[in-house]
Amino acid sequence: MINNFVFVVLFLLGFYAILVKKNLIKMVIGLNIMEGSIFFWFITLTDRGKMIPIVNGTQVASQLNDPVPQALILTGIVIGASTSAFLLTLIIELDKFTSSTNPDQIGGMIED
Amino acid sequence: MNITLILLIIVPLVTAFLIPFVDVFSNKARKILVAFSTLLEFSIGIFVIISNYSSITNNSFFLKYYLGNWIPPIGITLSMDMLSLFFSTLISFSLLFIVIYSIGFIGHHEGKYYVLLFLIWAAMHGIVLTGDIFNLDVFLELMLITSAPLVAFKRDRNGTEAAIKYMFYGTIGGLFVFIGVVLVYFNLGTLNFADIAQNFNSLNIFSKKLISVFFLLGIFIKMGVFPFHFWLSKAHSACPSSISALLSGVIVKVYIYVFIRLFWNVFGYNILQQTGLNKIIFVVALISTVMGHIMALNENDVKRMLAYSTIANLGMIIAVLVINTKLALLAGLLHVLSHLLMKVSLFTTTGYILQFTPGHKLEDLKGVAYKNVLIFTGFTIVAGGMIGLPPMIGFASKWYILKAFIKSGYNWGSVITIGGSIFAFVYYIRYIISGFKKLSLGPPERFRLILSVFYRERVVTDIAFIFVIAVIVVGVFYKVALGPLEGAINVIQNPSLYIEGILGG
Repeated sequence: MINNFVFVVLFLLGFYAILVKKNLIKMVIGLNIMEGSIFFWFITLTDRGKMIPIVNGTQVASQLNDPVPQALILTGIVIGASTSAFLLTLIIELDKFTSSTNPDQIGGMIED
Repeated sequence: MNITLILLIIVPLVTAFLIPFVDVFSNKARKILVAFSTLLEFSIGIFVIISNYSSITNNSFFLKYYLGNWIPPIGITLSMDMLSLFFSTLISFSLLFIVIYSIGFIGHHEGKYYVLLFLIWAAMHGIVLTGDIFNLDVFLELMLITSAPLVAFKRDRNGTEAAIKYMFYGTIGGLFVFIGVVLVYFNLGTLNFADIAQNFNSLNIFSKKLISVFFLLGIFIKMGVFPFHFWLSKAHSACPSSISALLSGVIVKVYIYVFIRLFWNVFGYNILQQTGLNKIIFVVALISTVMGHIMALNENDVKRMLAYSTIANLGMIIAVLVINTKLALLAGLLHVLSHLLMKVSLFTTTGYILQFTPGHKLEDLKGVAYKNVLIFTGFTIVAGGMIGLPPMIGFASKWYILKAFIKSGYNWGSVITIGGSIFAFVYYIRYIISGFKKLSLGPPERFRLILSVFYRERVVTDIAFIFVIAVIVVGVFYKVALGPLEGAINVIQNPSLYIEGILGG
């Protein structure tokens, strides 16, 4: 139960950063917090409190934790890392044109 | 087991990874590689159709491929049925011509451009073919992160701003999809589409609702439906026109495919009905249509106007699909085809025209009709199609949408469809009139090539004409397309066919 609560708090915290902060880099950090909260939630949600799933032939399946969420989260981390790396590159690029990282100069996030 | 399915993804992927190495040696080798892979990928698509022609005509078409020979529900399954085939054919057809268009249109950093373009191609085919919900999420993210650099491809301030917005919205949408995947895996312990579809009804109504809402949010944010449309007009207008055509014409349709596949075949349409979500989607989609048309009317920039028109048409497709009668699904899929052809041809013709204007604004288009007679006629013809004039494909699809709305009693939908056509008439005719305006004292250098890059015009105009001709020809012979569409609707309406196809045998 506590993990659901922590997930919601962290997720909303990240979302708050994206909505409120006036610095694009802080917004990227907010995005990363959101991502991290989902990974944390997923890993605690599917944890059965058993052995780590490294199969050496002596265990049976019921003794091991589920390895699938870990594989999914690893993929998710890779996606998240590349996304934030690319976003930061774009922010550097924008900084060259405008000499600031304020999201208001790109019209804010909810204005077209 | 059919090896061609994996080839459809691998060929563009391998090409994307080969291009930088070939690019080091010579430009010419890269060009040959690009042309060869494009034709190869296209011909694989044609080969799938020809070799399975008999099963396509009698509606029993189903191909599958188990990655690494893992039998489902454990491994990732690639599968192709009539719905996937329809979208895969659309993707291959439009990408073939967009790549050839780019050969004449993009004059700088071509190596990087084609790497990204082929990665998008691989991601789109992956989305259309995959039978695994996490794999779908990965391909969605791949499509996002490869299309965002192309949005910023001009490396100007506008493109960078648009790409930042696009990335923020796309990533948040991707996170919602990922939460959906987590919930699906936690509740059902499986990621396979067919396995989810089999067991989804055993969940309690709250989990079902939660999963559907998260996936809907994710897809709608990534698609740019009304409350989340803020990134779309910027992203679709700041990039080179070939990429605008790709984003506005093709990628948006891939999201429509995800929407159909998830909510008809995997989760089942019943879930939308039980939770009343279908009413909400219908209303949101219609609001999106109205807002798109109004914003397009307000806009003075030709590419942004086209982008807003995409929001409007997208809303119309979703609204008509969610009615879920046979006629409505047919209308929705036909409008997917027609909007794809028309938007790609509008952006390709506009891209050519804009090379001769000082800017993208309405006033800048003054007199272009006299300079580029043929291509502007093409633009006018396709604009007529967007409005819904008879010989073009736009007429057929709008007619079906109208019929679907009226037959199922959604009169508001039909009012908005007709009103939208009138709106579209107004905002397209403004640009056409502006194009035919005589210049009072135009300096002769007004029409010199503004951009420093010299475009090889012939290819660009030829491809633009191919799309314009396709709009007219498909519009005249649209009844030919109805047969395959019936097959696709058969798949949409019978989720058991999909489950049987993947899990059985």
